[in-house]
Amino acid sequence: MTRTPFVFAFVTALGLLPFALHAQTNPPAQRPPARRGPESTREFLGLGTPPDPQAAERGSKLYSANCGFCHGAKATGGDTGPDLVRSTVVLHDEKGNLIGPVVHDGRPSRGMPAFAAFTPDQLRDVAEFLHLRVELAANRGTYKIGDIVTGNAAAGERYFNSEGGCRGCHSPTGDLAHVGSRLSPPDLQQAFLYPESRSLSGASEPLPAVVKVTLNSGQQLTGHLRSLDEFHAVFTDDQGEFHSVALDANTRVDVEDKMTAHRQLLDKYTDADMHNLTAYLVTLK
Amino acid sequence: MKLLLIAVVLLACPKISHSQLLDPHKLLEAPTDTWPTYNGDYSGRRHSSLTQINSGNISSLALTWFFRLPNLTLRGVGAPEIKSTPLMVGGKLFFTIPNHVYAVDARTGQQIWHYEWHDQGGHLIGNRGVGIYRDWLYFLAPDGWLISLNTKDGKERWRKKVADEKLQYFTTAAPMVVGDRIIVGVGGDAMDVPGFLESRDPETGDVQWRWNSEPAATDPEAKTWPDETAREHGGGMTWLPGTYDPELKLLYWGTGNPNPVYAGQGRVGDNLWTCSIVALHIDTGKLAWYFQASPHDTHDWDNVETPVLIDATIDNRPRKLLAQAARNGYFFVLDRTNGKSLVSKPFVPLNWSRGVDARGQPIPDPKKAPTPDGSLLTIPPGGATNWPPPSFDPETKLFFVQATRGYSLAYLTDTDPRPEGYGGSGRNLWSQRELDAIKIDTGEIAWSHPFPHQNLQGLGGPGILSTDGRLLFTGDFAGNFVAYAPGNGKALWHFPVVRVVSNGPETYLLDGRQYIIVGAGDTLFAFALISPPR
Repeated sequence: MTRTPFVFAFVTALGLLPFALHAQTNPPAQRPPARRGPESTREFLGLGTPPDPQAAERGSKLYSANCGFCHGAKATGGDTGPDLVRSTVVLHDEKGNLIGPVVHDGRPSRGMPAFAAFTPDQLRDVAEFLHLRVELAANRGTYKIGDIVTGNAAAGERYFNSEGGCRGCHSPTGDLAHVGSRLSPPDLQQAFLYPESRSLSGASEPLPAVVKVTLNSGQQLTGHLRSLDEFHAVFTDDQGEFHSVALDANTRVDVEDKMTAHRQLLDKYTDADMHNLTAYLVTLK
Repeated sequence: MKLLLIAVVLLACPKISHSQLLDPHKLLEAPTDTWPTYNGDYSGRRHSSLTQINSGNISSLALTWFFRLPNLTLRGVGAPEIKSTPLMVGGKLFFTIPNHVYAVDARTGQQIWHYEWHDQGGHLIGNRGVGIYRDWLYFLAPDGWLISLNTKDGKERWRKKVADEKLQYFTTAAPMVVGDRIIVGVGGDAMDVPGFLESRDPETGDVQWRWNSEPAATDPEAKTWPDETAREHGGGMTWLPGTYDPELKLLYWGTGNPNPVYAGQGRVGDNLWTCSIVALHIDTGKLAWYFQASPHDTHDWDNVETPVLIDATIDNRPRKLLAQAARNGYFFVLDRTNGKSLVSKPFVPLNWSRGVDARGQPIPDPKKAPTPDGSLLTIPPGGATNWPPPSFDPETKLFFVQATRGYSLAYLTDTDPRPEGYGGSGRNLWSQRELDAIKIDTGEIAWSHPFPHQNLQGLGGPGILSTDGRLLFTGDFAGNFVAYAPGNGKALWHFPVVRVVSNGPETYLLDGRQYIIVGAGDTLFAFALISPPR
């Protein structure tokens, strides 16, 4: 069994770039956007003050006992009460200033009873619970991917060793040892599908690709790629020397491409293959 | 006595004595000495008849000025990107970033005035620019305000609320002027709100008509929703400018995804008129026809990409066509008089659809809907293309689009029978940008120009301009502004604008000199020939 060597893609500088052209370069403006956390998503969405979790917890009990029967357990509406998550009153409310009076006084014309016994603190707690419900729906930075280990681990292992050809480059006791402990299942699934999208080691910045430039004279230069477009190749060689080469039809650029096998598999996987592989890899604790 | 008479006439006819910056009739002409609306004209072709800059002299194209924005940080976004296409009228360029409008001298790049808005919410993801009617400018602040400014000095004339940011509407569109109408679209998908498009009075800002992206209970299309709750929260945002056929008096607009974005279990059905191209009567806002690009979308494939209006001969018949390269990966050509399909063909490999129905509408594969354990898609999360404007070249009959091939995982995170919000998420795997030239009669790819791989998600990037000078202007993804040959995609000229081109390039004649304008990140660049013809 041979390990796949570097696959080099051939580029003619002024012609059309072939599809296999693949380089780790540093684009000037557009970086792969990091997945946003709850706080930065909240800021981006303009959702305002975050809900107070303690108040929401207290409000949750009050809501379940008094409101859930009509408005549903998750406040998304029930047989007799409207959805409160997408309610204009709730979305405009600040710390109970709009929700409080509605709960306290009720809406008799629409069949909603008054909850006059609620104290101002309790009204605020119910409001915070509703704001938490809004947060969990609107703020996609809070979303959690659920249980994705639905496949058959034995089938996944077979796929790894035969059809997938994974064993040619990877070993469950070598580079993939303990991968099931190092990565959460969703991160692991993303990483084996295309490692560059999330480095298996957890490093966010992949190493620069190796580039080989062959000049018209036949001279060859090799280094780690800094940037590549159809006009220039810019790289640093093993001695740390900086190079930039203007490309023309007589210059040949070859870029290391270790990802060919992963890309080819992306066209072959069924969803079942993918879920089976995930189920297998999470067992590599 | 004579002087007095003149004074009386002047007082009685202030509008006549005052020259207007932009007569709305100007928008009916092919643009040469102006760029008077987002797409240059109503066709959305972004193709110019100018030839002063051409494939024979392109090597003499040089930078004449640049305008750099001050150091700004936008809430939740960071550094601003110029996504707007500046309007050029009267020797002035008017453009925007979220919360800011700039007027810049088109000859020198000097700032004339600046207007700043302080938002109370909304998303600052981008702003596509302004509309201009006579002496008045219109733009949308992110938190749902339509604001009219004086083009002379940037002073505010009035503001009108068009959408509620507390309900998670946000507004990024460039208002579109059609005759005595300002057409205003909206965005918003975090809180399951209904989409709409409004026509407003240019003098008062009052609503002339409103078209709702969801049918009324009495419309037959209401049956494409399971119940009133789903229909009333249905989405279908109208966040990019549309196009207009003045002969047919039809306005063409693309609508966005249904809500919740990824979770379809609470909205079983086709979910009209989301992810559609709609034709509306300009005088009433009533629907003339629709074509749904993604029935029951669960992949965030807003169908707002420019519906480009093309007049061409197909099967020996002159046809009024509408072409769109859609975010879902299909290239569509329709008869724009009636919405009948002529071409529905994928321009990238795709596995979400099982082909098209008798109307030419794609049939979604339910097996490829988002799942809790992940569904593998052969399109990246941002789609096969996105908002950056395409172009159409009548000489080569090619439609040019910045496309993205790739793979993604689609997850369902809200499995409740009544999901809310996005209800799921997409994860990017691998993607590859390419500039594609598509034949409009067959949808086949004439040529494809892949860019060196960058692991980018497909939400923005360069738009396209083509010209009768046999040139196609766009950006690559390494920070170059590039002129390509429209016939084969060969690079003819480039200039490093450092950032990735972030808007649609434009061109016009000023003082007899042809300019090319493009935005990249925080800077606007103006190019012209080194030695202009005399």
